[in-house]
Amino acid sequence: MANKNIRTLSSRKELDDNLFENIASASQKEQSKEELQKLSKRFMLDDSVVLGTSTFYDFTREENKNKKVHVCTGTACMVARTQDNIHKNLEDHFNSNEIGHAACVGHCHSNNAFMYDDKTYNAATKDEVKNIINNKSYQNNDYKVASNTTPILTSKIDDVAAFYQLAEQLKNNSQNTIQQLKTSNLRGRGGAGFPFWFKLDAVIKEDSNQKYIVCNADEGDPGAYSDMYLMEHQAHKVLFGMYVAGLTVGADTGVLYIRGEYPDSIKIVGEAIEELIAKNLIQNFKFKIIRGQGSYVCGEETALLNSIEGLRPEVRVRPPYPAQYGLYGKPTVLSNVETFANIHWILENGGEAYAALGKGQSTGTKLVSLDSFFNSPGMYEIEMGTPLQTIFDEFGGGFKSEIKGLQIGGPLGGIVPMHKIKDLTLDFESLGSNGFLLGHASFVSIPVDFPMVKFLEHLLEFTADESCGKCYPCRIGSHRGMEMLQKAQNSDYKIDKQLFDDLLETLEIGSLCALGGGIPLPVKNALQYFKNELNEYFTND
Amino acid sequence: MKTAYIDNVGYEFNSGETILEFVRRIESNKDAIPTMCQDDRLENFGSCRVCSVEVAREKDGPTRTMASCHTPVGEGLYIYHNTDKMKRLRKNIVELVLTDYPADKVFPPENKKATPFQETIAQIGIPNVRYPEGKNHLDIEPDRAHPYIKSDLSQCINCFRCVRACEEIQGEMILGMSGRGFATNIIKGFDTSFDESACVSCGACVQTCPTEALTDKYETKTLVADKTVRTTCTYCGVGCQLEVSVIDGEIKGIQAPETAEVNEGHTCLKGRFAFEFYNHSERLREPMIKKNGKFEEVSWDEAYDFIATRMIAIKNKYGADAIGGISSSRATNEENYLMQKMIRVAVGTNNIDGCARVCHAPTAYGMQQSFGTGAATNSVEDLKQTDAIFLFGANPVKGHPVTGAKIKQAFMKGITSIVVDPIKTKLADLATYHLQIRPGTNVAILNMICHYIIADNLVDDSFIKDHTEKYEEFKSHVEGLNMDELSVLTGVDKELVRKAAFAYASAERAMEFHGLGVTEHFQGSKTVMLLSNLAMMTGNIGRNGVGLNPLRGQNNVQGAADMGVQPHQGAGYMDINKPEVQQYYADKYGVEKMPEREGYKIPQMLDAAIDGKLKALYIMGEDTIMTDPNTNHSIKAFEKLELIVVQELFMTATTEMADVILPASSYFEKNGTFTNGERRVQRVNKVVEPIGNTKPDGQIIIDMMDRLGYQQPTGLTYNAADVIEEISDVIPFMKGLSWDRLGENGLQWPIKEDGTDTKMLHIDGAFKKGIGTFHHFDFEESPEIVTHGKKFPFILTTGRELEHYNSGTMTRRTDNQKILAKDVLEVHPKDARRKGIEDNEIVRIFSDRGSVEIPVKFSKNVKRGVLRTTFHQPEVFINIITGSVGDEETMTPEYKVVAVDFERI
Repeated sequence: MANKNIRTLSSRKELDDNLFENIASASQKEQSKEELQKLSKRFMLDDSVVLGTSTFYDFTREENKNKKVHVCTGTACMVARTQDNIHKNLEDHFNSNEIGHAACVGHCHSNNAFMYDDKTYNAATKDEVKNIINNKSYQNNDYKVASNTTPILTSKIDDVAAFYQLAEQLKNNSQNTIQQLKTSNLRGRGGAGFPFWFKLDAVIKEDSNQKYIVCNADEGDPGAYSDMYLMEHQAHKVLFGMYVAGLTVGADTGVLYIRGEYPDSIKIVGEAIEELIAKNLIQNFKFKIIRGQGSYVCGEETALLNSIEGLRPEVRVRPPYPAQYGLYGKPTVLSNVETFANIHWILENGGEAYAALGKGQSTGTKLVSLDSFFNSPGMYEIEMGTPLQTIFDEFGGGFKSEIKGLQIGGPLGGIVPMHKIKDLTLDFESLGSNGFLLGHASFVSIPVDFPMVKFLEHLLEFTADESCGKCYPCRIGSHRGMEMLQKAQNSDYKIDKQLFDDLLETLEIGSLCALGGGIPLPVKNALQYFKNELNEYFTND
Repeated sequence: MKTAYIDNVGYEFNSGETILEFVRRIESNKDAIPTMCQDDRLENFGSCRVCSVEVAREKDGPTRTMASCHTPVGEGLYIYHNTDKMKRLRKNIVELVLTDYPADKVFPPENKKATPFQETIAQIGIPNVRYPEGKNHLDIEPDRAHPYIKSDLSQCINCFRCVRACEEIQGEMILGMSGRGFATNIIKGFDTSFDESACVSCGACVQTCPTEALTDKYETKTLVADKTVRTTCTYCGVGCQLEVSVIDGEIKGIQAPETAEVNEGHTCLKGRFAFEFYNHSERLREPMIKKNGKFEEVSWDEAYDFIATRMIAIKNKYGADAIGGISSSRATNEENYLMQKMIRVAVGTNNIDGCARVCHAPTAYGMQQSFGTGAATNSVEDLKQTDAIFLFGANPVKGHPVTGAKIKQAFMKGITSIVVDPIKTKLADLATYHLQIRPGTNVAILNMICHYIIADNLVDDSFIKDHTEKYEEFKSHVEGLNMDELSVLTGVDKELVRKAAFAYASAERAMEFHGLGVTEHFQGSKTVMLLSNLAMMTGNIGRNGVGLNPLRGQNNVQGAADMGVQPHQGAGYMDINKPEVQQYYADKYGVEKMPEREGYKIPQMLDAAIDGKLKALYIMGEDTIMTDPNTNHSIKAFEKLELIVVQELFMTATTEMADVILPASSYFEKNGTFTNGERRVQRVNKVVEPIGNTKPDGQIIIDMMDRLGYQQPTGLTYNAADVIEEISDVIPFMKGLSWDRLGENGLQWPIKEDGTDTKMLHIDGAFKKGIGTFHHFDFEESPEIVTHGKKFPFILTTGRELEHYNSGTMTRRTDNQKILAKDVLEVHPKDARRKGIEDNEIVRIFSDRGSVEIPVKFSKNVKRGVLRTTFHQPEVFINIITGSVGDEETMTPEYKVVAVDFERI
């Protein structure tokens, strides 16, 4: 494993004096160079390490230091075409060099989104913007929440102390916990669908005096805001899941890596942790929140671990897996917010009750994020296996305007043409076997008048922008793909179809992680289902 | 049997083997699968992806594409590595790479070797680039400021090999990556140049870089050499193997061979780059005799005749004991052997000593007292097996860079580590415990450590009982010591000492390393014996990953002592005071009798000269005037001598005082062997013909012996292999030594008759001397401090810097001098400011002996009251102020404790 020295030097000061947090705060200071150099000295590193990290993230880069407001560039806001207007409205209050961007702030239900003064907003009009900037008037991030089944994730916690009582019964009973989770067939909600119990089982078997639980709350998929919902409205479900995972495998520390574009989540989870401590509801376990600094690839588990450590979040090779060599090289259970949030219900009601929900290998429920093209955008807890059409009709309430397709499951998720919706149900298998992806179950609508070529350009630009730069296919390939799509729109250049296919294959089978490896899926969907629209940009052979 | 399949044929695989290693091994072809970012010496990384292969769970089943470099082979895996799909993938990746790579660098130019990248893309097949022209990095400015290392990142393919080599091989993080995605870029330090960065110039990045994005000034990587010669580096006791490229009889570049056991494809800036001294214009090229105060070039015959006549006259007039010889730890074993033989046999005196006297004599002496053998008990490779490292009085990162890098790697990865050093070195900073003692209190701190180990019941009773003697005396001695007093004396908190002692003693395997910070002291030999105690009382001897491992300063300190360059022991450490030993040597050398009286050590030679007892000094390759302490005293001694002969490469302070200068060939110009700090005898192979009219030291000695009336049995021509044969006959523990057997990676002595060598001594407590002996000592303040401490309240301690080799005769005549041109005085800022002295100001530093001027460098790496400097530059000549106190047993000078004061000029 590369970077062992940097990793161990960082781990000497561990989480309390965390290198990454230090780099982030030093980068934002006036004298950032001197501060960063001081830091490298204090951690016994060389300057290239801290500079390498600080130049990686949107929010720590020197050129973004003076940005006061960040306009959302997420897919949902892009297709809603609201952001030019927001930018213009913000120019009344800021110099254009003070206006930066953020890759999705989770207001996909409303769009017109931006981040200002450590809060996120959506504001459609000049007056709204003015009111926010001048009066700092806080606006709730409101959206509809409902469920079509037994609410597991969306049910209310009445009494926090009583909620945590369950943990007492689980102490010294690791095998039972694992068995229940195995029976439940809870699969990772980050997108990969890996059986959760297996991770616990792997970590429990590791002989180490230090283990970690890490919650991946870097919900970077534009269009998805389900993790944001859980953190801001169901924080204790997430924390409980981590705590129990810690009890089960013998880890005393839980780290939540929350993206910086979700300032409210960071605040609310922080308050929930303080509540736990104040009420003395957890023992021998501590939580730590790490604030992301603007990088999509940190949602990849090994990049996320590197990020916490203050290293450049370049994807690690596997094996070793995080269960063996995770945070600071120690055995680590790493899973997604929503996965952890399911644990309380499973252990309270039993694995079988959970497995009874859903369909086949996709058990339980899934949070679904609907964007603003739906008449009823919002956060819906849907039993696995529910037909998409049912979700659209019963919860989404149909579309506000005509839609030609949807991207489901984030930027690496499939582009589903409208006519395929009726064939699909909400579960790993249905979407997967039809050439799409459940992913984060976010739904971003593509209006009929939105050029598919522009959508593809956006996807490749996003990938090129967010690529960690480690593996060749992703680093160079996504950039060249973006360039070709741009050139084809801006000139009479036609993309060599054979070359484009070669590029997609190279990305798909050659990339180190799911970012480069996953982007060909939606692109290929588009080339298949929107061929007529795209043909003019390619050589015809 | 664990079986995996390559193209449907089953083979056994090793556990932990990657697919890449497996396929390479089975097909016996390093290029079976192309790679770009992979380097065997580096952790698997997986960035380039050209090593991708298809793997299936069943024969001809559905495949997945995996990068072979970081995917382990698994049971029943079907590997297809050369399918059309993979060939296409590789070619498509290369096409992407070529969109951001200079079109004129795809093929090597006519007179240059292909780079590894050029070879790889040729292997994959060079595609036409179909992509439209886009953004690229072709206009990045080259960085050529550093004397040796150059970068042209327009040729960079972002394989991260340099970044990883910097961290994983050298243990630095000078090279890094900035930005992300397509904008990722190699950076140096805080995005500066190599020259401005903290780069230690080891060149590991250059060697691993597969393109010419990183090159050295010699462009070694792409040289088309007439021949390459493997030899052993002369710059320290690590003994790196070097691969020297020669064109038209001149050295054009050096690489570190990956097959070298000692350095595994790595070396430092001295070994890799600092070779240009060898044909420097100032090289001595002709013999010279001082006539009327001026050196005149003479023929070899005239020089030899002059020396022989004068030496015979002196011998006849004053006796053989009026002549002394000083040999060099930089010369080969064969030459050291011949030199001591000449003094003992052809001159007839035991007045033979070498520069080990000024460095590691206490190690040899002390370890002999404790264990019976004065050499490293273990090998450096044991670092891979140890649980704790105890580093005492050494800064190997500077003095022994390749071993230093290995130790640093272990420190950074968090191994339990204890450093005892008055200086806060980089390693001390990284260590778990740094005991920053007052210079000169080594015995006190070791007594404390041993006291706590006993108090905390961490001794290995059964080892002590079974394999050692006199433990009880030692135990009751240290038990009775007052820790509070010693804590005040050493300046180290006793609780910290207790913790460090606990860490060392409770480790399953703990390894000790020490350097000149142990030996160059009044109580040097005693400190070595206490270090031996420490190992014995905790059972840290005779196993893998433990032991006492002196870091030898010069390349052949070990060998020179082995060869008998000591006034009290002959070749193979036999006591020359014993009549039976005298007879043994007389028989071996074919002479009637050997000299009987034990000879002078170097300091005694100088005193004897002053006293008029020593009249002639024959020096082979040492700058005694510059490197011995108390220069004025040395000069006074030299002035009294009737004859001074010096074999040298360059004019030095010592040659200036000589009567005859004999121009010697450098190590590039001769054959022989060096013995490194882990007893490894390695070949020195002649790379180029002797420069000018120079001769190898061995040849000169054979010629001189002949003039003095002794015919070397191996003949009148120096032939290293023949001399080795003689050595193997004389030295019992080198019985199996021969030129042929040494091979590429040498042999570690003892070497049995059948050629089997030895990685570890005293296995399972079977000490060379039968039983290990504990000694006990009280701390005693150095006479230097007792006598001069009041008048000169600061303690000066001297050391070395990475860029230079001792007196700098060689390194100052290379571009290393551009990297570090000055000796400076490290002073705690508060001490300086109290005297109104600012950073970089030139001050006068003075002692009882004299004074010199030197620029000040503020440093918090020294405690208040302590000053540090180096002795590389004759402009400063720091030994003018160092003193005559030496180790009680061996007289090794106390360079590490000098009572001084300093003032503004």
